Amino acid sequence: MEAVIEVHDLVKEYIITKKESGLRGSLKSLLFPQKTIVNGVDGISFSIGKGEIVGYIGPNGAGKSTTIKMLTGILHPTSGSIKVCGISPQADRKSVVRKLGVVFGQRTQLYWDLRLGESFELLRRIYQIDLAAYEETLAILRDVLKLDEFMDTPVRQLSLGQRMRGDLAAAMLHAPSVLFLDEPTIGLDADAKHAIRNFIKEINRTRGVTVILTTHDLDDVEQLCNRLVVVNHGKIVEDGPIDTIIHKLAPYRLLVVELKQPCEDLVHPAATIIKQDGLKIWYQFEKKRISAAELISDLSQKLPIQDLSVKEPDIEDAIREVYKTTSAV
Amino acid sequence: MMSSIRHYVSVASCFARLAVQRQLEYPLFLFSWLLMIPIQYFSGIWMLKIIVDRFQPLNGWDFPELTFLYGLALVSHGIFVVFFINTWHIDNMVINGGFDRLLLRPMNVFFQLVTSYVNFIGLIDCIPGIIIFLYGCQLVGFEWSFFNIVKLVLVLLGGVLLRAALFISLGTIAFWTKRNGSMVGFALSMLERATMYPLSIYPFVLQALFTFLIPIGFISFYPAVEFLGKDSGMVQLPFSLALWTPIIGLACFLLAHWIFRIGMKNYESAGS
Repeated sequence: MEAVIEVHDLVKEYIITKKESGLRGSLKSLLFPQKTIVNGVDGISFSIGKGEIVGYIGPNGAGKSTTIKMLTGILHPTSGSIKVCGISPQADRKSVVRKLGVVFGQRTQLYWDLRLGESFELLRRIYQIDLAAYEETLAILRDVLKLDEFMDTPVRQLSLGQRMRGDLAAAMLHAPSVLFLDEPTIGLDADAKHAIRNFIKEINRTRGVTVILTTHDLDDVEQLCNRLVVVNHGKIVEDGPIDTIIHKLAPYRLLVVELKQPCEDLVHPAATIIKQDGLKIWYQFEKKRISAAELISDLSQKLPIQDLSVKEPDIEDAIREVYKTTSAV
Repeated sequence: MMSSIRHYVSVASCFARLAVQRQLEYPLFLFSWLLMIPIQYFSGIWMLKIIVDRFQPLNGWDFPELTFLYGLALVSHGIFVVFFINTWHIDNMVINGGFDRLLLRPMNVFFQLVTSYVNFIGLIDCIPGIIIFLYGCQLVGFEWSFFNIVKLVLVLLGGVLLRAALFISLGTIAFWTKRNGSMVGFALSMLERATMYPLSIYPFVLQALFTFLIPIGFISFYPAVEFLGKDSGMVQLPFSLALWTPIIGLACFLLAHWIFRIGMKNYESAGS
């Protein structure tokens, strides 16, 4: 597969000053600052192929935004190399950003006081899009993102979901080959999230746009991404298809049992009770050690079971495992 | 090259149109400026008149000459706030991520920073400026010869570039400190004191400072000295004083642009 983004050994150092408490501490750090170098991004390598939708996820402060900023040429890495469409964003920012669309969910690039169309006209000139191509792209965007409902409303009066649709359209006007989305569904209602996800799938399918998505909403990841890159403490912890990651990180399943009446002896040697709420008990068990059928038959012999269900671990469980294990470092 | 110039002109004109439209969204705000700005400057010149009438000319500058100087300074201030007001807000752009957006577009960042907001409201600053300046010209009997007009245009251009250079350099501090809001207010009052009143009333240290280190004396004082045939004070300079202004203005502007680029490099390597 043709690589659109290639990152090799990317490092970004930050200098932070250690602060001590109180006025004395403030004065001390003013006069004798204790500077320490922290690696915000600490040796990341990956390669993303054309047409992939990659979820780039990790806890707050894991280095996601910093990485995105380096890939888009806003920040320069301390060391390591980046190639986007074969070009280094640090060496030739203007050529690279021409091929990129970038949406920050928490900020807008639209003019607050003006109708959507005005911001689009500015972008048309900035990216030197010729009129025919512009009209064509805009027609598609209007259709998929249903922009017509609010095309002539000042941006300040749009709902968050409408504004986000406007921002996505703005990022796509110049037909970029790579789209960076930094938390595109933050704060949106279910309907708006659905619309945005559909749009991302659509442009990926019809235009072959490569999408890199950071998010805390794991539904986004589950519905959109064929690949997941999980970062923590500036390092890549996992990189692969979602199913594989879930299987690897959360190789267990859950059995939820509801009893008819309270019982004393609840334990089973092959399963651990992770939660108990009244008559409801959650057993966690590993597929390798015991099958669901065996566990159910064992338990039903000694417990009066009213109801039960088996749960597969989802991406959320897997991610929780990542954060748990690596935050101990 | 030509197509690149066309590209930048087309974007700049679109930026300007949008900026005007944005300001027209708030007509009452516009109206309040229309009220406040003339009051501020007309009362300023009135105050000057009272001082000179009651006491004595300021270090040899009588009221007509003071009006000429005040007006000249105000006109260049007015032009500056129309075209360069964005240089006051570099720190905001660094903090709220607006600056990142400029870096994401395939155009020169400095160009985008300056042209992205034409302060149409600033034209209101020009109104009292032009009125006071023309009044001053009439009082001192300014000769509207071709050579004088060319000089005047060059002086205004240089003065605007000098002001821009000052605010760009100060704004660049935000790339390191993230905040520099009070710097703008500080620079504004410094500019007012050094450009609207004769520099020669200040002690030698300040005269030298505003001539050589922060050469804002060239915005209005030295040109006015030449136009009016006054004494330039303790600091004596060779050559036509008025023609120093565009030269120094351009030099300072280029220097400020260079400082801005260093600041941008630091921003890119330090992050926020």
